[in-house]
Amino acid sequence: MRRKKRLQTNDKHIKNLAAIVGEKEILFHKEDLTAYENDGFTIHSYLPKAVVFPKNTEETAEIVSYLSRNDLPFLARGAGTGLSGGAVPLNGEVIISLVKMKRLLNVDLKNRCAVVEPGYVNLTLTNSISDKGYYYAPDPSSQYCCTIGGNVAENAGGAHCLKYGVTTNHILGLEVVTPDGAIIEIGKNGIMDVPGYDLLGILTGSEGTLGIVTKITVRILTHPEEKKTVLAYFDDVADGSQAVSDIVSEGIVPAALEMMDGTAIEAVESAAYPVGHPKDIEALLLIEVDGISAGIEEQINKILDVCEKRNVRSVKVAEDEQERARWWANRKTGFGAMGAISPDYLVQDGVIPRSTLPQVLGRIREISQEYGLRIANIFHAGDGNLHPLILFDSRIPGETDKALEAGSACLQACADVGGSITGEHGVGIEKREEMRFVFSDKEIEAQTNIREVFNPYYLLNAGKLFPSPGRCGEVKKEEKAAASK
Amino acid sequence: MITADVWKELTSILPADHVQEQKTAETRYGNDGQVLVFPRTEEEIAAILTFASTAEKKVNVCGCGSKRGLGGTEDTADILLSTASFRGIKEHSVGDMTIFVKPGTPFRELQDYLASHGQKLPIDPIHAENATIGGVIAANESGPKRLAYGSARDLVIGLRVAYANGEIIRTGGKVVKNVAGYDMNKLFVGSMGTLGVITEIGLKLRPLPEHESLVLLSFPEGDIDDIQAFSEKLMKSRMEPVSLELLTPALAETLTGDASFTLAAALEDVASSVFYQEDYIRNIQPANARLSILNVEEAGAFWERFQHTFALDTSEQHQGTEVLVKIGVQHSDVLEVLKEGEREALCEGGHGGMGHGLCQLHLKGDKKQLADSISSLREAVEEKGGYLVVQHASLALRREVSVWGEPPAHFFLMEGIKTKIDPQRTLNPKRFVGGL
Repeated sequence: MRRKKRLQTNDKHIKNLAAIVGEKEILFHKEDLTAYENDGFTIHSYLPKAVVFPKNTEETAEIVSYLSRNDLPFLARGAGTGLSGGAVPLNGEVIISLVKMKRLLNVDLKNRCAVVEPGYVNLTLTNSISDKGYYYAPDPSSQYCCTIGGNVAENAGGAHCLKYGVTTNHILGLEVVTPDGAIIEIGKNGIMDVPGYDLLGILTGSEGTLGIVTKITVRILTHPEEKKTVLAYFDDVADGSQAVSDIVSEGIVPAALEMMDGTAIEAVESAAYPVGHPKDIEALLLIEVDGISAGIEEQINKILDVCEKRNVRSVKVAEDEQERARWWANRKTGFGAMGAISPDYLVQDGVIPRSTLPQVLGRIREISQEYGLRIANIFHAGDGNLHPLILFDSRIPGETDKALEAGSACLQACADVGGSITGEHGVGIEKREEMRFVFSDKEIEAQTNIREVFNPYYLLNAGKLFPSPGRCGEVKKEEKAAASK
Repeated sequence: MITADVWKELTSILPADHVQEQKTAETRYGNDGQVLVFPRTEEEIAAILTFASTAEKKVNVCGCGSKRGLGGTEDTADILLSTASFRGIKEHSVGDMTIFVKPGTPFRELQDYLASHGQKLPIDPIHAENATIGGVIAANESGPKRLAYGSARDLVIGLRVAYANGEIIRTGGKVVKNVAGYDMNKLFVGSMGTLGVITEIGLKLRPLPEHESLVLLSFPEGDIDDIQAFSEKLMKSRMEPVSLELLTPALAETLTGDASFTLAAALEDVASSVFYQEDYIRNIQPANARLSILNVEEAGAFWERFQHTFALDTSEQHQGTEVLVKIGVQHSDVLEVLKEGEREALCEGGHGGMGHGLCQLHLKGDKKQLADSISSLREAVEEKGGYLVVQHASLALRREVSVWGEPPAHFFLMEGIKTKIDPQRTLNPKRFVGGL
């Protein structure tokens, strides 16, 4: 049935794209396209013109070159787990889905690197090298389904980036299709510091606005000899935050240092992976230390001491891998767990200097009261990356807008203490306006100037990352760009 | 010769004793200026640049001048802007383990200050002597401990940068994790001052390790191939050395008195972990290798000697017969590169990271010999897919050999970036890759 229908189109562009990727590798009927109206950020939906599934770099380049020649907007998409709307086709783009480019191309244990295609799933890499003693460090909570290509676009973080760094610290090379369809290779064989401007650095985290990544060389690490995980319950959130600072002041660099507040605990305990956290505490800390076995005990003892000093109600060390895994499953499914206590939720992604945590949590409580919406907090406390989850009900008229405003207010609170509006989710379409909380018009223009170097005709993923034209120099530029076309 | 109006303009921005006329007719290392200025504030830097770009003057930028021998084919520009008088710590948030410093702060001074708070900036640039933090960042320097801690690019969290037209741009922020907008920090780190003058640097810090030691393993001449096998075994193990640097016999002799290929594995952690790793290495060491363990003080002294060996003398009195080259290859090729270095008659010694692939060779000879040696080394390295950068050489030699090698196929993007940010090519003209 479907196959027949596929051929029925008078759109020459669809036909031409189908000729590049094959008829089975393109979607263009409305009913097929609705799944691509948005990504993990579901507030805004736009229908793409089509979705194509290239199998390799050459096809990707051919598609891009065709679209560019024909002045058709396009964007790249991985698993669609992005939380800020980076893959939403705002301009009716042709979506280039990279999910079929999902091969592990090479693993070089001697040189500690691996080469993957962009559609390769994050956790699959770790799973496929784990038996040899290696893993890939960046571990966003969605790692079981998100792609490494998407991780590069967003410069994804994760619970363990406190010690091991975020995606950009693990990227050694990229093959990129430029917005006019050329294929370039940046970095080779995982060799570091290749002379020239750090294009790897600027491409990583550019949210798919500078080029389409088609091959990625990543650093892989050997598993730590041992890890131990501590769970601590606090009656007072201020004690919990103070404990975080104290642990770091002890000279310990934990692999992960996570915090959840009472509302978040209520949610995770009502969801799929409850572990029996008490419901009347204000905060819990999940602390993981890894490294050389001989040194772990000493660090754990220091952590236990710190917690005692900060009036912990109870604290325990995971007895075995199973218990540790249960604690992490409970934490890593934290966002989704909000569904158990609220019809809808919106997750924010602010960053603050760790030391300002009590102050910012206080401000978020006020915001919650001002807007009459509950806010749960899940927090990568070690690096100051705060995820306020605003609970709301989209069926109540006006409540979605209220939730969006409350989210923006939380980001303002982060910016006010010298923080950032996003630590790992990206700006996308969600936080474009909030960019003004942290950057001046000139600083935003400095960034869009870089975009113009890579993406001069602005057909690739337009309208993302930067505030909409209207107040800064963008307006004039875009008029100029339009006029020159 | 500087004209009266340039002098007048600069002395209206700065006190007269912060503006100096350069009298030397021709310099050995180049990257000089006809007039040398020492701004003390960001505003002064901005004013100098605004003047320069309006008057179409070219500006070279330096800290204390330790990297004058790195890149560039010009003897002099109109103005040499030194950040040496723009120094000090602006903000140190001990609890957040972040620091914001002015670019002219000497690297050593910064580390000493941090040590008094039990913290450190976890980079160990090889050319730390006389270096400023601004220079270390602008050249993206690193050293043997890059294995564990990364390089400047992994540590910079925010910058303030003066563009060539005098505009101040902030990149990044004050927090250790940040994906708001493009990661603009990366553009300036390692860009050799060709995109802007860095006026403030935000860095993330680490605690000083509770304990450290340095394990030295020297390999007798017949057993060089054991080095590769041993290194692989250690890297595959779950030990966590923060360096695994291989020293050529010549360098090892200077540093330890033992003229054999020597591996320097630094260990930093709580004491129990350091001892445990020492034992581990002792147990897997090849039969004929000689092992010695340096304690905290000895290890510190070793690394100081190491840096001193590579200190760059850029004074005019120096003869300019010395060259340092940086070589990047795959980890598994480091031993080959160092062996190649040993065979090279001009090579005075070298080292390379068995776990990160960056090597350095020290060459000495006359200009012709050096040029030949550089090109034959480069050929050998490029055959392995790697690259060679001339890190320190006289201007005359830099005009003869390519410092950075051939620009990559995507050079047009780098050129595009330079043109957007510094369209008049005011800053550090011709200093970087492909004449950027």
